[in-house]
Amino acid sequence: MQNTSSTEKIEQDVLAAMSWPSRSYLACIFLAGLVFLGGMALWGRQIALGMGVAGISHPVGWGVYITDFVFWVGIAHSGTLISAVLYIFRAHFRTSFNRAAEAMTIFALMVAGLFPLIHLGRVWFAYFLFPYPNQRQLWVNFRSPLVWDVFAVSTYMLVSLVFFYIGLMPDLAIVARRRTGFTGKIYRLLTLGWIGSSQQWRHYAKLYFFLAAFATPLVASVHSIVSWDFAVSIVPGWHTTIFAPYFVAGAILSGTAMVITLVIPMRRLLRLETYIPVEHIESIAKILLLTSLIVSFAYIVEQGLAFYSGNLFEMEQFRFRAFGDYRLLFWIMVGCNSVLPLTLFIGRLRRNLAFLFVLSLLVNVGMWLERFVIVVTSLARDFDPYAWGKYTPSLTEFGITAGSFGLFFLLFLLFIKILPVLSITELKER
Amino acid sequence: MHDTKLSIGGCYSLLLILAVTIGLIEYGGLVDQQGSLLLTLSFWGAIIQGAVAVAAVTALVRAKWIASLRRELLALYPLLLLLALLFALLWPQLELFPWDNHPTAWLNRPFFMGRNLVSLVLTFIAGRQLALHSTQGTPFKDRYAVIYLAAFVLSQSLVGYDWLMSAAFPWVNTMFGLYFFTESLYAGIAVSGLAMLLYFRLRIKAAPEQTTLHLRDVGLLLFGFSILWAGLFFAQFLLIWYANLPEEVHFVTERLSHSPGRELCWLFLISLFLAPFVALLGGDAKGDLRFVSSISLLVLAGLFAERLFILLPAIPYHGGALLLYNGLIFVMMLLVLHSSERLLPQAPPERNEGQ
Amino acid sequence: MARQLFFDDQQTFLQQLEQLLKDGTPREQLDVRTPYHLSEVETLLAQPPSKLPLFALGGALAGFGGGFLLAALTSLDWPISTGGKPVVAVPPFLLIGYLMTILIGSLASFAGFLLLARLPRIEALVEEQDFDSRFIITITDEVAPCTTLN
Repeated sequence: MQNTSSTEKIEQDVLAAMSWPSRSYLACIFLAGLVFLGGMALWGRQIALGMGVAGISHPVGWGVYITDFVFWVGIAHSGTLISAVLYIFRAHFRTSFNRAAEAMTIFALMVAGLFPLIHLGRVWFAYFLFPYPNQRQLWVNFRSPLVWDVFAVSTYMLVSLVFFYIGLMPDLAIVARRRTGFTGKIYRLLTLGWIGSSQQWRHYAKLYFFLAAFATPLVASVHSIVSWDFAVSIVPGWHTTIFAPYFVAGAILSGTAMVITLVIPMRRLLRLETYIPVEHIESIAKILLLTSLIVSFAYIVEQGLAFYSGNLFEMEQFRFRAFGDYRLLFWIMVGCNSVLPLTLFIGRLRRNLAFLFVLSLLVNVGMWLERFVIVVTSLARDFDPYAWGKYTPSLTEFGITAGSFGLFFLLFLLFIKILPVLSITELKER
Repeated sequence: MHDTKLSIGGCYSLLLILAVTIGLIEYGGLVDQQGSLLLTLSFWGAIIQGAVAVAAVTALVRAKWIASLRRELLALYPLLLLLALLFALLWPQLELFPWDNHPTAWLNRPFFMGRNLVSLVLTFIAGRQLALHSTQGTPFKDRYAVIYLAAFVLSQSLVGYDWLMSAAFPWVNTMFGLYFFTESLYAGIAVSGLAMLLYFRLRIKAAPEQTTLHLRDVGLLLFGFSILWAGLFFAQFLLIWYANLPEEVHFVTERLSHSPGRELCWLFLISLFLAPFVALLGGDAKGDLRFVSSISLLVLAGLFAERLFILLPAIPYHGGALLLYNGLIFVMMLLVLHSSERLLPQAPPERNEGQ
Repeated sequence: MARQLFFDDQQTFLQQLEQLLKDGTPREQLDVRTPYHLSEVETLLAQPPSKLPLFALGGALAGFGGGFLLAALTSLDWPISTGGKPVVAVPPFLLIGYLMTILIGSLASFAGFLLLARLPRIEALVEEQDFDSRFIITITDEVAPCTTLN
């Protein structure tokens, strides 16, 4: 099936990305790092001065930070979807993306994990969230969805890390073989002595399957639990049963959009066109279309049933979303998430990379706004008109949001240089 | 055996006879409590539409999954017409629904009948086109698969929101649409498990490797869907339990506080989640015909129990009629499955496709 | 002491392996290395099925029980009623159990893999044995300790 020259070529092509960085790459790293540091500085200022520097107040106590948290957890989802779910479904186009997507999962979760901390008034007590025996004789409240979130996100992080590492193992051994000197030794140590004997492969294949099988229901449950942070309350617009599948679909929509956003430039810059054919990107675009349709379905159902029920509060909430203070954001969101992806029904546009790239950026914008609209509008207008209010994000919140993007791209850029961006072993199998 | 196979004309005539028979029983003064028809429809709607939908999905994603069963599933398309015929019979019975006395913009007789009939007929037309194009392998088959799936989602959502949720008006559960088309796919996979029972012995001789693989696929899909179903069910239950709002909770308490709701609830929880999950957890069980086919039957039974659970407190019914209708349609489905070679001549060319 | 055969493509390698086994080379003396997983090798060498599922199942069960009990027992330890929920609120605790099922199940599978595949393998690290891109069959004169069946 494969002969030496072709396997040699795969290894060289994929590992070429790990060569000495160019100037433009260093400039990108510097820029991303700078934005990230700026965000960190603003967070430091917030810790020093208090939560007043953010715009959140009564009645809108959850604002951009929670929006960011939900957004980044959502971004994380497609990585697991592409590597685990598509593996279970034996979809072979995953080999073009799975490494980058898994890395994306880890980085997006690292960024997402910061936001509950940023949102905490006294961040130095963050460890109170974990159930550990303590002298205060207190335990966490397991009936609270916020505690489920702690469990869900940390489980997701650990399982994704193990999955990522296991997928990397044979590839690390290839890097170790091709590298000399000190870095080679480091890579070799990370392989734990992987030599590809039939004994090792036998258990490895089983383990990979099991991790994929565990990760698949996990993907669905993590974002469901994030959605229940809202949905178990009785706030109009939040308390609705469709939230769990709707959030999961939204997460996969934003995640696949982010995969497209990252993979299209990466493919071009690292000259991986042969390994990431357009047909595979087209398959990802189809997933994007599918999830966009599910999200649109949920939009329609939410609006429709609010009026079906005749419930005054629900009806007012959904009227307010579409025609109230935040109407502009709502309509941009509908345009980006529901209307624009419909263009993907046209095959030519699905294969047009420039178009896909622009579309994926717009879907990212739309999905961020969706979270914002859900979080903010319901809080701004709940049951009692006397308690209504309006929320405008402050500069600090925007700065920290920008910083989170900086961190994400910084980590992704570092990953490109440190680890093989495609699964060499699976490419050889292909 | 070959002479028992239906031709396409015979199939449609038989459907017509079936619909007329059910109509005569329903309105011939034999049945005093009308409601069995709605129960039967909500159950078979899921099974028949789901079976075709499973074939459409697998064809669309070019999966090798259960490819050898695709024709049997697609051959069920004439039954989609039966759903529309039976639904038309519901017209005089709409006083079953609590909203009938004070219609709203969405819930009123003409609009209710109109949109549901249109969606059922649309599903039938799309399903027929999909089946014919798939077996002939024309380039339009993907387009029809997409159109069918759109019609299917619309139709099953309406089943959830209109036929079942509105029977408990003004109770609202936004997940019902999605929950019903997921359940319908689950039922479709269970139908492929049944088809395996009919065809396995014939095919294991012809293509042993492929047949065992597809049996495993059915087992794996049943297993996966049992988890998915449990997740969706739990997602609804948790929110209703947690918020504890009187206008939502009454739906659950009304059903769980006395028999037979309580028993039915256990029954469908066991047959739709616990039993498939535990039985098919092992790798060997997924490839075992006895396990897969019995779990398929159990899933269909569980689905029936679940429909009863949702509709019983809201709808009066006649037990004998209910059994008779379901029995008749079940026999009809087996007949169609058995005649699939004649109804859809020519094997699908995508047998060996897949990526 | 040991003979090594190198192959560049899968076909030749599998044929040769089959030939060797036909010629009566005992399975215990063959050590096979491949650049990717080949289920055919498992079949040819008649390796017993991996015991990994036991680890996964054990971890999953322990995780579920542990997760549920953690939530239930800590709540009983400090029985404070919040949000009008019972002290042992089953639906939310099932969620904790479910998440721990996945977490402990995955970690136990990982640990099981390290145990079964005998990793980390110190001699491979010290001798700098490579993970080759070729198919290698090593025929030893006596059974090497690392190929004991598990």
